[in-house]
Amino acid sequence: MKTFAKFLGLAVVLLIAIVLAVLCGDYGPWYFAWLVGTTMIILIAVAGGVLFETQLEIQKKGS
Amino acid sequence: MPLIDPTVVDLSRLQFALTALYHFIFVPLTLGMTIILAAMETTYVITGKQVYKDMTQFWGKLFGINFAIGVATGLTMEFEFGTNWSMFSHFVGDVFGTPLAIEGLMAFFMESTFIGLMFFGWDRLSRPAHLAVTYLVALASNLSALWILIANGFMQDPKGASFNPDTMRMQFNSFVQLVFSPDAQAKFVHTSIAGFVAGAMFIMGISAYYLLTNRHKEFAARSIRMAAVFGLISTLAVVTLGDALGRLDDLLQPTKIAAIEGLWHTTTSPSAPWLVAALPDDKTQSNVFEIGVPYVLTPLITHTFDESIPGLIDLEAAAGPKILNGIKAIDALQQYSTTHDAASLATFKQYENDMGYGFLAQQNAPNQDLNAITPAEMPAVVQQTELETIPNVFVTFWAFRIMMFLGFYFIALFAFVAYFSLKNQLENKRFLLKLCMFSIPAPILASEFGWITAEAGRQPWSVYGWLPTFQAASSHNVGYMIFSLIGFALLYSLFIAAELYLMFKYARLGPQSHDHAAPVSGTGALPMFAKPGFAAKSWE
Repeated sequence: MKTFAKFLGLAVVLLIAIVLAVLCGDYGPWYFAWLVGTTMIILIAVAGGVLFETQLEIQKKGS
Repeated sequence: MPLIDPTVVDLSRLQFALTALYHFIFVPLTLGMTIILAAMETTYVITGKQVYKDMTQFWGKLFGINFAIGVATGLTMEFEFGTNWSMFSHFVGDVFGTPLAIEGLMAFFMESTFIGLMFFGWDRLSRPAHLAVTYLVALASNLSALWILIANGFMQDPKGASFNPDTMRMQFNSFVQLVFSPDAQAKFVHTSIAGFVAGAMFIMGISAYYLLTNRHKEFAARSIRMAAVFGLISTLAVVTLGDALGRLDDLLQPTKIAAIEGLWHTTTSPSAPWLVAALPDDKTQSNVFEIGVPYVLTPLITHTFDESIPGLIDLEAAAGPKILNGIKAIDALQQYSTTHDAASLATFKQYENDMGYGFLAQQNAPNQDLNAITPAEMPAVVQQTELETIPNVFVTFWAFRIMMFLGFYFIALFAFVAYFSLKNQLENKRFLLKLCMFSIPAPILASEFGWITAEAGRQPWSVYGWLPTFQAASSHNVGYMIFSLIGFALLYSLFIAAELYLMFKYARLGPQSHDHAAPVSGTGALPMFAKPGFAAKSWE
């Protein structure tokens, strides 16, 4: 039941996100670009941090 | 005696420009650092490594100093609309006040509430809950900017409102049109992401200082990695979005784009050069000196290869008929305000779209009274007003170029730092690290010059095409304006001094200093948002 409720909750969030994306994409293309772009910038910066840790681990294993 | 004293208008403009530019020293850092903090905390939640939590807390503390002082400088500006720009507030207050009120009620309150949770909720909230709070702070600070830029978007391209001749002011037609105005949208994304660049450079510069001084090296190496990657993508986005904003200006404000490009004559061929440098002379309406790159201007501005771009001299000439129509509109409006008859209303409606040009002509009419212009004087009044329909070209041209050249410098700097960070060779590149350190104020300067381009380029209008700046000011006396200007300058200088003192102090102390007495001589140790155990660094 708990898993189903979680699934339902996430499905609602997904639906809202799709509706927002369609509306925003039609009427506010730059706002939409900001939402998508900022998320992408954050994720790539996070990837930079995670990559740093991986490089460090490889370096430690090598030495 | 003229109704509007040009000296008062100039002093009002100077005061608003000063306070806005002061305020905008703080804004880009707030916009950018909140987003980078969210990225750092995300890394903490993903990797579970303490160092990323410490990074979020340390950079969060510097963000907190900037936020507190930034808020103080922003509050006075909203009052200035009432004190120094009462005609503006009367004319567009219904429309302009709405986004400002929403900014205060929604974004600012949201931001303030969640900032408290972000600083003091580390031990009280679960990791995901605290991460959500940090994201909400980032969203709120950018929403705050959004509503201000929606208000500014209305000044650049008045959408969603129309003039009501009965109330003599602009009134709302559509809130949706106001919010989704293309100018507001493009300006928001450009300004917000310019803030990301400022935040990234700030973190990169201070981290470079730690690497140069061999302190907090692991902390700094991680910070600089994230900031460089974040900054590189943000700068690429800012340049792209700036190009989109330029295209919009070409469509909506041709005088601004012609001033930005130092373009006096309409282009007739796709080979028109884009001026890298020039000395525009506003008096002779020509460029004394030019260095240009052929075939770049047309595709850059119009995104085509054959569209012509109107020059300033042709735009002035095109304003002539609008000025005559505007004078007729104001004459009909004056009649309607006393008689309320259908005929004068119909005449007004016929020329309504050019009303602003009539207001503009007022400053050249005898005693600023359009009714006092004789038929013999009319051509001279129109000719003089035509010259005043364009902005100051020298200021707009160079403000834009400084911003743009800085933007390309940032791309190169972030790219080199990201590259050497990814290769783990950054510590040896001392010149590059020094460059990072000294470049900390550069993105803020670029943002300031961006605003000068946008606002100086909109002149002579405070609301484009509707309300000239000289008619928007309050009717104070010169003494009052000089007194308040000096007061603001002194107060804001104190704010800047406090910001610089606190920033230098806590940046020098670094992330380890909270539980130890003064590791750097003369700086002392003042705990701020610190908690026990913060300095226990297993990662170094």
